[in-house]
Amino acid sequence: MTTATITSEELLAADGTLLRISLQRSLRRNKIRAATLVAGPFLFLILVFIIPIGDLLLRSIDDKQINEVLPRTFALYDEWDRKELPGEALYEALFLDLTNAHKLALGRSSTRMNYDKSGWRSLIKKSGRKFKKLEGPPYKEAMIKVDKRWGDITFWYSLGSMIDPYTFGYYLNAIDYRYDADKNVIHQPENRSVYVLLWWRTLLVSFLVTGFCVLLGYPTAHLLATLPLRTSNVLMICVLMPFWTSLLVRIVAWMIMLQQQGVVNELLVWSGILDDDNRLSMMYNFTGTIIVMTQILLPFMILPIYSVMKGISPNFMKAAQNLGASPTLAFIRVYMPLTMPGIGAGVLLVFIVAIGYYITPELVGGKDGKLIGNLVAYHMRNSLNWGLAAAMGTILLTGILILYWVYDKIVGIDNMKMG
Amino acid sequence: MKKSMKVAALTAVGALAFGASAAMAEITVVSWGGAYSASQQKAYSDTWTGGKVNWESYNGGLGEVRAQVEAGSVQWDIVDVLPHEARVGCDEGLFEELPRDMFTKAADGTSMDDDIMVDVPNACVVPQIFWSYVPFYDKTQFPGAKPQGIEDFFDVVKFPGKRGIHTWANALIEMALIADGVAIKDVYSVMDTEAGIDRAFAKLDTIKDHAVFWSSGAKPLEFVKSGEVVMSLAYNGRIGAAILGEGEPFVTMWDGQVIEEEWLVMVKGSENYDEALKFLIHASAPEQQAGQAKYINYGPMRKSAFDVIVAGEPWFITPDGKANIMEHMPNRPDIAARSLYADPVWWADNGDEVAERFTAWMSK
Repeated sequence: MTTATITSEELLAADGTLLRISLQRSLRRNKIRAATLVAGPFLFLILVFIIPIGDLLLRSIDDKQINEVLPRTFALYDEWDRKELPGEALYEALFLDLTNAHKLALGRSSTRMNYDKSGWRSLIKKSGRKFKKLEGPPYKEAMIKVDKRWGDITFWYSLGSMIDPYTFGYYLNAIDYRYDADKNVIHQPENRSVYVLLWWRTLLVSFLVTGFCVLLGYPTAHLLATLPLRTSNVLMICVLMPFWTSLLVRIVAWMIMLQQQGVVNELLVWSGILDDDNRLSMMYNFTGTIIVMTQILLPFMILPIYSVMKGISPNFMKAAQNLGASPTLAFIRVYMPLTMPGIGAGVLLVFIVAIGYYITPELVGGKDGKLIGNLVAYHMRNSLNWGLAAAMGTILLTGILILYWVYDKIVGIDNMKMG
Repeated sequence: MKKSMKVAALTAVGALAFGASAAMAEITVVSWGGAYSASQQKAYSDTWTGGKVNWESYNGGLGEVRAQVEAGSVQWDIVDVLPHEARVGCDEGLFEELPRDMFTKAADGTSMDDDIMVDVPNACVVPQIFWSYVPFYDKTQFPGAKPQGIEDFFDVVKFPGKRGIHTWANALIEMALIADGVAIKDVYSVMDTEAGIDRAFAKLDTIKDHAVFWSSGAKPLEFVKSGEVVMSLAYNGRIGAAILGEGEPFVTMWDGQVIEEEWLVMVKGSENYDEALKFLIHASAPEQQAGQAKYINYGPMRKSAFDVIVAGEPWFITPDGKANIMEHMPNRPDIAARSLYADPVWWADNGDEVAERFTAWMSK
């Protein structure tokens, strides 16, 4: 490089400019051309992937809307001593905020306020109708007369947790904590604590399913890679057929097989192994979830391992045995390390898919069928608490990125082989 | 000359066709799919002389509607929504408020809103049907004493065996309290207290170990049919379809049922406002409301539609003839005393909190 710059100082291109400059120019032109080629896909990626995801992630901390609706109230809020009901000034501020707010903004705010404390929605709606007829000041008495909940101090406390335009409240909510009126972090009441439990269950399901997939997938992949072509092709079809079959068909098939009045139980009872009152319960519970998810995700484990195994020369094993290793030792010391990239890819694939699964557990899991994914869907679709859904999504995404990073440190991402 | 005539003629035809297609805008109606959408299709769009109606299915909730309205690209014109969504969506400005006086009056001149059997919550909603959560059993499973109602559903000593229940709290809280002896009219005032909710969960505890949970409407019928459970809660329309259409030996226990509303709404910013409004007016007229009951046993919301059905019995169309439908209607007068209309206002306030508690209860 250095020699090139020294010599090119004196060299001139055909049009008389310095060769170095002419070279740079043509290189730049090439770069621009290359950039315009990738600009399309890049823009596409930004528009349909990065912006929407970024927007959703921002929602997990965004609490601006409520601040736009209740500016007067929040400006005065910190002057309140929070020991007894606030004075006339805060009531008046809230009254003015509620009567001046746009109807739709108020509707949305009441949805948001109701996440913090049940009852806000109907309180705001009822007040919105009746406040129009209210003549004040003074407002305090009149508001409590409209609805006695305005005299309930817990509603006023609840406002304190919404005061910041950006909040970690949704993240706290996702791990069973919350803010109180003074912005202290406190635990959710016991009977509402459900998220931590579901996070653990989701992790447990993902680890178990990944583990079983390795246990079942590794021997299968080995068989596929070592059997003669004709037999292995048939076996390959057996792996791929379920992979191509509709998810719901497979789930329903498992239901028919495993439920208490199902094929497996009927066979066991008929053959006398079980008596009629002790039928196994393998469906609509945790066991069912694990069995069905393992079967569904198995191909994601088998295929990458298989493709790695296919590339390992049988001569390695022969060489190891020639050098005196027993077949077991040769398998453990030579063959297995060589298959690690396939296992790594399989584990990562299965784990990442499993951690966000929710339809299968919902259908076959019975009372244990709710995972974090179900709650994300519930809050996106039913409760419309997109902030909480976004917070849970962000936690999931971060978890997966950490896993990816750990994997990179231990195995090395360059060693991964997807097939 | 000839050529320019041809061009002019073609242009005129094109303009006509364009004009016609503009008047006959296609509208998209989104509902729940299955037999329910089919009944709506037969009763509403097959009798509709306007433009083409595209039927799509969704899984409920307002997630998609809110996303469409926020993004400013509204694909859906009309959506079939549950009582909770009907209120929240209108409050949040996701639905159009409709001119109430344009809707068809009952034969005796009553306005549509006064003809509806419940209070109309806002100006966005157009009446659809009532449906209910209701327990049922297979009569061949009970040769001796038969369960009578919601109390027996919760009594695993008197009637041993598994129970099918759904994986969310709606109606289960109410039913648990009714089974525990709370009078129908007091249910929601009991639910307004923390102790009342505790009481409901305590009652649910008594069947928890006997419960098989379902999350899709077809499951409870399979459960009962295969003997996986001896009794199950289900949507009344599914049970009715199995009895009327397939001759299953199922018995519906109306005592203690919880009735829910179902409304049609127009999505805010619909590009086909006029056509969609015409369709809504058509679909909510008493004749069409009654017509839907020919194909499914969900109860029309309008009183005057009941009159049409009663006068026309046997009204329901079965594979081999006709059958009486009134005895399968959830909102018919003779069972009203032991039926509870779910209170969407209570659920809008407390639904999220109870949902969390219910999930925690289910999981522990």
